[in-house]
Amino acid sequence: MTQTVSRDTPMLEVRNLVMNYGTKDGMVSAVEDVSFTLARGDSLGLVGESGCGKTSIALSLIRLLPDNAVVKQGEVILDGENMLELSPEEMRMRRWDDISMVFQGAMNSWNPVYRVGDQIREAIDIHWDEKPTVREANAKIAELFELVGIDPSMMERYPHEFSGGMKQRAVIAMALSCDPKIIIADEPTTALDVIVQEQVLEELRQIQHDLGMSIIYISHDIAVIAEITNHIGVMYAGKLVEYGPTVDVFARPRHPYSWLLLSSTPSVTGPRMKLAPLEGEPPNLLDPPSGCRFHPRCPFATDRCVAEEPPMEDIVEGHRLACWNHDQVPTTAKETE
Amino acid sequence: MVRFIGKRLLQMGLLFIVFLTILFFLLNAQPGDISQQFVGNPDIPPEAKEILRARLGLDQPLFFQYLNYVKNVLTLNLGQSFDHFPRPVSEILLQALPRTLYLFLTATLLSYLVGFQTGKLVAWKRDTPIERFTMVGSIILYTVFYPWFAILMLWFFGSKLGLFPLGKFLDPEKWFDSPYTANQVFNMMLLSALVAAILVGAVYWFTHKIVEPKPRQRARRLLLALVAIGMVVFWMVSPMSQYAADIAYHTILPVTTLTLVFYAAITLLTRSSMLETLREDYIFTARAKGVPEKVIRDRHAARNALLPVTTSFVLSIAAVIGGGIVTESIFSWPGLGLTLLNAVTAEDIPVAMGALAFIGFLALVAHLIADILYAVLDPRIRVES
Ligand SMILES: Nc1ncnc2c1ncn2[C@@H]1O[C@H](COP(=O)(O)OP(=O)(O)O)[C@@H](O)[C@H]1O
Ligand code: SF4
Ligand SMILES: [Mg+2]
Repeated sequence: MTQTVSRDTPMLEVRNLVMNYGTKDGMVSAVEDVSFTLARGDSLGLVGESGCGKTSIALSLIRLLPDNAVVKQGEVILDGENMLELSPEEMRMRRWDDISMVFQGAMNSWNPVYRVGDQIREAIDIHWDEKPTVREANAKIAELFELVGIDPSMMERYPHEFSGGMKQRAVIAMALSCDPKIIIADEPTTALDVIVQEQVLEELRQIQHDLGMSIIYISHDIAVIAEITNHIGVMYAGKLVEYGPTVDVFARPRHPYSWLLLSSTPSVTGPRMKLAPLEGEPPNLLDPPSGCRFHPRCPFATDRCVAEEPPMEDIVEGHRLACWNHDQVPTTAKETE
Repeated sequence: MVRFIGKRLLQMGLLFIVFLTILFFLLNAQPGDISQQFVGNPDIPPEAKEILRARLGLDQPLFFQYLNYVKNVLTLNLGQSFDHFPRPVSEILLQALPRTLYLFLTATLLSYLVGFQTGKLVAWKRDTPIERFTMVGSIILYTVFYPWFAILMLWFFGSKLGLFPLGKFLDPEKWFDSPYTANQVFNMMLLSALVAAILVGAVYWFTHKIVEPKPRQRARRLLLALVAIGMVVFWMVSPMSQYAADIAYHTILPVTTLTLVFYAAITLLTRSSMLETLREDYIFTARAKGVPEKVIRDRHAARNALLPVTTSFVLSIAAVIGGGIVTESIFSWPGLGLTLLNAVTAEDIPVAMGALAFIGFLALVAHLIADILYAVLDPRIRVES
């Protein structure tokens, strides 16, 4: 890379990303004008109900979208370089080297016929600047296994000899193997039982803290996001509706959707808020609602919400949201009683 | 692995006895008994018939006959042919066996090798004209009435173009002063193929201990080239080579016909298995890791798509044997299938029974090989057993 990157420029900048899926019934508006930034060493949580486009954003970043997906507009700038303009071959070399991923279905992320260690070594062989010998690569894998709490001798084993939690830990080890700038973790603990979920989460947080890489953590569970991220982006129906420091958003959600989402989840951080429940279903993205996409479900909706789309605006420094009537949203738990 | 094979061998033995039982009782369910055919002549006085029946053991209770039969088969005592009396059945069958093995092993290996590659590439080139063309061709070949297709091939390449000999498995003119029998040559061909297979296996076995991939690959290439050169040199200097060449020439048409039909089935199967594999999460993982597309296709997708194809191989063995009779009779290939057919038409019961027992045994051996292959290919099975 040739550009010099100043300290203030965020490492990753997503600008006005628009992505649709072409289907026989029409275009699915899965990502609509999404912008956010991620600083080096920072952790960003993307939260929202299932189907709101979280995975679609992740896949746009590593450019591994299904064939029917079209990126209509936008830029994904990583350290000054627009990833969407790289050739397929250049992009292939960036995957895992710059951005690695821990997947939603991590249980099935392993090829059943190869040893786990060999599958990690495959990534190392592709991406390390100097291709290491098997011995060197194995030493690195052993180190990573210790880091995620797996006995290093397990690298000689096949995936079916791993438990669910171990498989997921090994995926995390693999995601770390090429020292990426960013790790995207897409619902990494959804398929695990609760106890293992907690452990894996804690490990992820610890590793991210120790190694200082950036992480984008995707979950439909806002409580999980609160535990391990310092920035949060709330998504609704393909749009980013609120973005800010996690503490601020949790202390005072200003977008009606965030406010309702938070209230419908048992709180882990603050006192349990007793609010209106989140009613109804997310809209069909083949034909999203006019104006603010949240208006059919929003208790604060007005005529303007139906007609005009609210822009993303800074409310406080670094805390943005898109709502015409955000001042209507109660500020504290007390006001709602 | 040893326990796994032991278990399979035991199962195989039991299955074989069940198979013999069914064979025996099916035959006895037919009206009359063997003596009717053997001494069917009404002029023979009943007393003489009784003596014959006693000699043949047919006067004993069915169950004792059955026990005797199983014991005889297991000791390879299959009796004597009625039609070529007094040639022992086992001798007739052992003569036919290498010819059948030669024909079917060649066709099976060829069709699996080529069919798997085609299926793999076609699945990869989804929705292209190449895919559609291959699919239509394969479906036609797969559904065609096989005897008709075989005769068509024979007529076109043998008669119309005159490229290949019609029938027979060798040219008698070239053999009349041959110091070898056809079977000696067949056996040598099979033996050399077996030795080559063992050597290739040994090369892989000994080189897999080399940890670093580069030197391992180099060692493999070198050793495999040596094996190949060794084979070529062996057949070049062997005095049998001209006879082997004659047999090979006669093989081309039946092997091509058989291969084409198997090939179509394997292409279709590999394609669907491959398409399924390509949807797996680990393929996505490989892409996210930045693995090149060709490597994803070959090392990740095809390697897993191979598993169901191997299973189907086991299931198709029976069909292969059924097709054997048709193939061998159309191409006048004197193997087990033709022997069986001739025995049935000549009412040569011992040969027919023996041939069926042999074919059953071969099917079981093929199953065993496929099972071992499957365990080698799939670590999940390897460890569980
Ligand atoms: N391959 C696809 N073709 C068509 N629509 C899709 C495809 N993948 C996802 N979608 C749709 O895009 C929307 C966003 O999906 P996704 O990004 O998976 O959401 P999330 O990860 O938040 O659950 C959903 O409405 C989903 O139905
Ligand atoms: S813009 Fe209107 S409909 Fe949308 S969230 Fe705000 S108040 Fe609700
Ligand atoms: Mg998702």
